[in-house]
Amino acid sequence: MGLEVGQNLKVKKHRIIRWAVQLFFLALFIFFFIQTSYISLINSPQFFFSFDPLILVITSIAFRAVIAASLLSIVILVGTLVFGRFYCGFACPLGTLIDLADRLTGEQPAAITSRQFDAVKYLVLVFLVVTAVLGSSFLHFFDPLVITEQALTLIAYPITTFFTSVVSSVQPAVFREGVITLLNLLVILGAGFFVKRAWCRFVCPLGGLLGLTARVSLFKVKLMDKCTKCGACESVCPVNAIDAQNLKIDSGECIACLRCVYTCQEKSAQYGLRLQPVGFSVTRRQVLAAGVAGIVLVPLSRTLLYGRLEARLIRPPGAVPEPEFLNACVRCATCMKVCPTNGLQPCLFEAGLEGLWTPRLVPRIGGCEKNCSRCGQVCPTSAIRKLSLEEKSFARLGTAVIDRSRCIAWEQDKVCLICDEACQYNAITSRTETIQGVRLTRPYVDERICMGCGICESRCPLDGRSAIEVYSMGEERKRTQFYVTPEKRRLRDSTLIKDDIPSGFILK
Amino acid sequence: MKKYSRRDFLKISASAAALAILPKVFFAAKKEIKKGPLVGVARGKPAKLVKAAIDAIGGMEKFVAQGSRVLIKPNIAFAANAESGATTSADIVKQVVELCLNAGAATIVIGEHTIASAELCANKSNIRSAIVDEEKVSLLLFTKKRQFTETTVAAGKVLTTVEIASELQKVDVIINLPVAKSHSATGVSLGMKNLMGLIWDRNFFHYTDLDQTIAELATVIKPDLNIIDATRVLTDGGPGGPGETAVLNTVVASTDIVAADSYAVGLTPWYGKSFKGTEVKHIIAAAELGVGEIDTARMDIKEIKV
Repeated sequence: MGLEVGQNLKVKKHRIIRWAVQLFFLALFIFFFIQTSYISLINSPQFFFSFDPLILVITSIAFRAVIAASLLSIVILVGTLVFGRFYCGFACPLGTLIDLADRLTGEQPAAITSRQFDAVKYLVLVFLVVTAVLGSSFLHFFDPLVITEQALTLIAYPITTFFTSVVSSVQPAVFREGVITLLNLLVILGAGFFVKRAWCRFVCPLGGLLGLTARVSLFKVKLMDKCTKCGACESVCPVNAIDAQNLKIDSGECIACLRCVYTCQEKSAQYGLRLQPVGFSVTRRQVLAAGVAGIVLVPLSRTLLYGRLEARLIRPPGAVPEPEFLNACVRCATCMKVCPTNGLQPCLFEAGLEGLWTPRLVPRIGGCEKNCSRCGQVCPTSAIRKLSLEEKSFARLGTAVIDRSRCIAWEQDKVCLICDEACQYNAITSRTETIQGVRLTRPYVDERICMGCGICESRCPLDGRSAIEVYSMGEERKRTQFYVTPEKRRLRDSTLIKDDIPSGFILK
Repeated sequence: MKKYSRRDFLKISASAAALAILPKVFFAAKKEIKKGPLVGVARGKPAKLVKAAIDAIGGMEKFVAQGSRVLIKPNIAFAANAESGATTSADIVKQVVELCLNAGAATIVIGEHTIASAELCANKSNIRSAIVDEEKVSLLLFTKKRQFTETTVAAGKVLTTVEIASELQKVDVIINLPVAKSHSATGVSLGMKNLMGLIWDRNFFHYTDLDQTIAELATVIKPDLNIIDATRVLTDGGPGGPGETAVLNTVVASTDIVAADSYAVGLTPWYGKSFKGTEVKHIIAAAELGVGEIDTARMDIKEIKV
């Protein structure tokens, strides 16, 4: 009895420490999420992405260049090589969210004892590598950090700003395509009704990558010979990594949470230096199947929902050229969160199946502010380049076009000119003509100066569709070169066409 | 030497007295015409302009009583600094704030419904530098519809109702503090145009009749004091700029919004051409509605050099 009480205390203490560490990392993740805002003092991207080895591997392959910001994630790989998959057990924010959801869905649901689905995550990893080699990134469907950050931006942020907008000048954020993210999240968290940590066990390719590494890790949990095969360790293992009958622990599956170590009364389950690697449980046929799936899906994704016809697909300023952009962007949605006008929105299928969740500027919601370049500063993979304010202000997003048949200055002789008033680059000029004895002032776009920021489109007073709209024609996308040229600077500074004397003056 | 009789002496004395009185009679008649609104105009060192212009029309104490609550409405509608000429200089706002505090104002609210995003406008205009006393002075950015109250416009033909900032009803004194600048639709943006930053739905103005609605708005929002910042004037390319700027280092102050605006039109050429207040549609419309005096000849203009 005495021993049992002591054991219970140890289990309790371990549980408290484990939760404290997990919640600390979750809080840290949320802290970085909160501080990536337009008015932030720290002004850094989501720090966790720097420690995501999956981005380092998959995005670098797809982008054909090393994602420098993610090189730090080697620390995690090395750490896993020594200590096992501690990252999954303690640091992963989605893992913690899943643990929290699993608590809500009941203590112990009928666990799947069969391990046949455990291999799926390795196959997802194979699939990601194959598709990346072929030049498409599907990372965003599977990366736990991306999923968490995206859910925070597209789901949690609109909810919090709904309330903070009551007490501050902040406008509630809106994201049109958040529904898919919400469903994705509900599936991931709801899976706990059937299997604990189901997503981590069966799907997560980051878990797969760390699992592969952990198979050869120096430190592992092992069952000693004195094991009575009581099965206590099996019942507390959240990832079903233990086979007590055969005294086996799959260290690729083990997330080093150490629940078993603290539960075992015989002190048979021990965490320590173990050198022999654990065998690989994936068959050649499965790997081949995953590879073939990737080989088929890359061309398929380019034909299904073909998305290169959208003339109003406006990318954020400094976005690298489109094919590379699709590969470099991890869909974390941080850019959309920091956009002060809320104009950056997740794509649904406007850029094709491949472009799902990539950021696009929807000027009717909000234009691109001249004085802001935050999207590029917070992008974890430089899919949107870090540009100075001046450089950004010369990165053309597209060109505004006036629909004269709907513009009230053109069609109804109204003194509107809100677009001219709003234009940040003076690209809209007001020209006044005398028609049938009446002086009428109307807007014209000078396409040489227009940067396609879309502020005009956001302000047009018409209901619904704007009478001035930005098209992607004239957009500039550069991977390395800069946007400021002497010619562009000259054009902007010279104010080629001045406004005529407005109709607000009476000419005598 | 000729000897004057008593009669002669009386005659001469009477004529002299008449001659002495006559001009006074004339001058008195002339003064009768000059009874129009007071307009204070100060030119010179930017740091002294506001006080000089307001002193010319009676001093701040005349407008701001001890313990009163004051709303100052600068024009910081665009995310631009005062150098661009598109926004009221934060330094001028600061001078007004200090004068109000000296006059005994208990609370000062600097209010604006910006066009570009509120926070950007506040930062770019450096408006917070005018908050010299955190306890008494605050910045109120109108960003929500619930900050406005629907009001009827009795004199309005086009504008029959308008949602104006509820804050207007909570204050004792309204100080209108526009920057003088060009405007591609209305020609100039001065005191009356600045009042559009105190309403919720500006679009209605644009898709009905902008000049007329601006004038009709001035029948509802009646500032106690109008101070036009013409230290740096955007003479074309307005209202947002960029465009030509003219450094005039001038401040115009008046209780009559039409008079202040009409006078300010003549400060500098606009779009390369000189205009008078009587050539600006929305100022004419306001004068016709009886909001104020448009004719500079009927104003009592006090010009001061500092």
